[in-house]
Amino acid sequence: MKKSHLSPGRLSLLMGGAAVFAAGGFFVQGVWRAVLWGIGAWLLLWVLLSFLLAPRTFSRAFDDVHTYLALIIVSAIFVFPCLWLILASLSKSGSLYDFKGFFPSEYSLDTFKKLFTDDAGGQYPYKTWFFNTLYVSVCSCILGTVLVILTGYVMSRFRFKGRNAVKQTTLVLGMFPGFMGMTAIYIIMNQLGLVNRLEALIFLYAGTAPMGYLVQKGYFDSIPNAMFEAARIDGATNLKIFTRITLPLSKPMIVYTALMQFAWPWSDVLLPKLLLKNRTTWTVAVGLFSMGETEFARFAAGSVFIAVPIVILYFCLVKYIVGGLTAGAVKG
Amino acid sequence: MSQAAEKKIDALHCPWQVRCSMVIMGLGQMIYGQIVKGLFFLGVECGMLYFFITRGWKDIRGFFTLGTVLGDPWLGTQSDNSMEMLILGIFAFILLAFWIILYLVNVHDALSTARDVRAGRPVRHINSTLASMTDEKFHITALSLPVVSVMIFSILPIIFMILLAFTNLGGDVMYPSKLADWGFSAWEKIFSLGKVGDTFLKILRWNILWAVVATLVNFFGGLSLALLLNKKNVIGKKIWRAFPVLAYAVPGFISMVGFKFMFSQSGPINYLIKSAGHDPVFFLINDPSATWWARGIGLFVNAWISIPSIMLMATGILGNINTDLYEAADIDGATGMQKFFRITLPFVVFSITPVLISMFVGSFNNFGIFFFLRSGITSKDYFLASDTDLLINWLYGLSVDNNYYSVGAAISLIIFLITGGISLAVYVRTAAYKQEDTYQ
Repeated sequence: MKKSHLSPGRLSLLMGGAAVFAAGGFFVQGVWRAVLWGIGAWLLLWVLLSFLLAPRTFSRAFDDVHTYLALIIVSAIFVFPCLWLILASLSKSGSLYDFKGFFPSEYSLDTFKKLFTDDAGGQYPYKTWFFNTLYVSVCSCILGTVLVILTGYVMSRFRFKGRNAVKQTTLVLGMFPGFMGMTAIYIIMNQLGLVNRLEALIFLYAGTAPMGYLVQKGYFDSIPNAMFEAARIDGATNLKIFTRITLPLSKPMIVYTALMQFAWPWSDVLLPKLLLKNRTTWTVAVGLFSMGETEFARFAAGSVFIAVPIVILYFCLVKYIVGGLTAGAVKG
Repeated sequence: MSQAAEKKIDALHCPWQVRCSMVIMGLGQMIYGQIVKGLFFLGVECGMLYFFITRGWKDIRGFFTLGTVLGDPWLGTQSDNSMEMLILGIFAFILLAFWIILYLVNVHDALSTARDVRAGRPVRHINSTLASMTDEKFHITALSLPVVSVMIFSILPIIFMILLAFTNLGGDVMYPSKLADWGFSAWEKIFSLGKVGDTFLKILRWNILWAVVATLVNFFGGLSLALLLNKKNVIGKKIWRAFPVLAYAVPGFISMVGFKFMFSQSGPINYLIKSAGHDPVFFLINDPSATWWARGIGLFVNAWISIPSIMLMATGILGNINTDLYEAADIDGATGMQKFFRITLPFVVFSITPVLISMFVGSFNNFGIFFFLRSGITSKDYFLASDTDLLINWLYGLSVDNNYYSVGAAISLIIFLITGGISLAVYVRTAAYKQEDTYQ
């Protein structure tokens, strides 16, 4: 056998590791024994390869194999629960107790059909929930985006009396636990006669959105001032600058904001649970949360149905999301 | 220019028209001929007067008394609802502040018109006032709606909760059987040695541990994932990246409820364990044996949900690292480890510090995980909480499910002091906060 090109330190590390794992296998039972012996054999394999392969090939192979192994494991961890839910939504029987292991034994599209046609005696009116959710999400997305973009823009571009007060107040208030005022919100909505109305949610989602203006402000901060000054010299009013220059320039931020403003109502459980007391006024999230283990397939189908649009949106707009997340990260 | 024009005009030395505005909002403006503006101010004054005469003064009085009338079913009288009185009182105070601000604006406006008149300039026409709303006063126009909505839906509830912590509302002090009062009983409960105080300490300890561990796991998980996907020898980066993004895109509550089903007593994992010939493991049930299982599963689910977004963020930041640095390091013969610890990690940590803090605060207040995994569980030796609950879950359980309003409010103030103290200290120090103008 050729001399290994691994440094003695690394070679002994690999060999020692192999020995420890193999020995450890003797002291445990069942699955763990197989796991430990597997790891030991794997390390031994690389020790052997270090004698057989040329140095370049070895280090490349070592790196490649482990990189891809890690990628496969990580991807499996992320994709498996999703796959599990998708397949469960296609199962023939509804209850979690009928599943033998992870995956259903028989497949059919019945659960999806049932989701829309059979509401189990008014218990799960999914179609109504779906349109409720759509209504709330679209309205709060439009309203909320307008409010946040305006706030972020003004806070970034204008210097006015009270600006610092606004900045510090939002900073401090932002540190209070988000739904700390839930009791108060319920009373306010009760006073306004909005309990059990979807509009209450729209006002809440859109109305509290400006609190999170910092990401948008960070984005506007990064647009060079010169552009605005040039327009000012040409005699444009501030409104004109905002509509003609700022908005076209900030498309990525608008897309990001709109997506976030849409996704939040789409998947929020707490506020609808607090404010909507009739099953027919619920949103999908509350409805799905109310389903027990016997309705597992219905839960899975309902989840898949509302997750698909948002997943597609995220995939199409992932570029903007990275932009938004980074803008938030760097500027805080 | 006459001698009079040079004399300063201020609130003490001003023409009679301004004094009219001081007495009745908008009157001075109307005398100057600014009818629309004058009517607007007058309208505000009338509206406010109407509100405060019909109910506002009662609301403000109610704020201090928190109710004086206890209902009597025999006489058919209604109890005062202390909680409503508190919130309506705060609302009346906010309106009062708003009125005072508008009153000052009104006087200020009349003064500036008086200066215009003295200097011989024409009185501003309504059209030019409106035009200024889209130009030099654009920020006021743009911010008015956000400020009002945040005032009602964020600030008012928060003020309410802060004040609530200093009443004795909740428990048996409830509408309509008992009237509330101001006091420190909630704080006494938390800081005394009773069950509430005991639970508070236990939950606080777990909460701090959770926040630290979860932040570290998520940060290093996300960073290593980003580095893994960024490796030069990975082909098809976009496809590999799609899997974490999928997990990120799935609405959080679906993943959390899904995991609850997966780990439930009759779920698939226990089915596999049973078919391998072992006893089922009770991961999430209400039993001391499940405590650390449930905590571990919570950590895993939290990582599953949060790592992808941190990965995306880190990818964006890694793209900003100057590649020259790595080339220089290569020439100097640096190993991969050295490059990571000397270049990558410092850079990422430096640019991500503000986010790291908000990640910590987010983990500290991570309501969703244990709400979805283990809702409705009350553990032994805990006061209306489960052994996995964080302070925020406890606060929710106390104030929304069990009507212990003042204790819940006091806990939220404590949470605020902890998280706010940490983040304020860091925010104030970050360069982004101090020198925001230098970037522009």
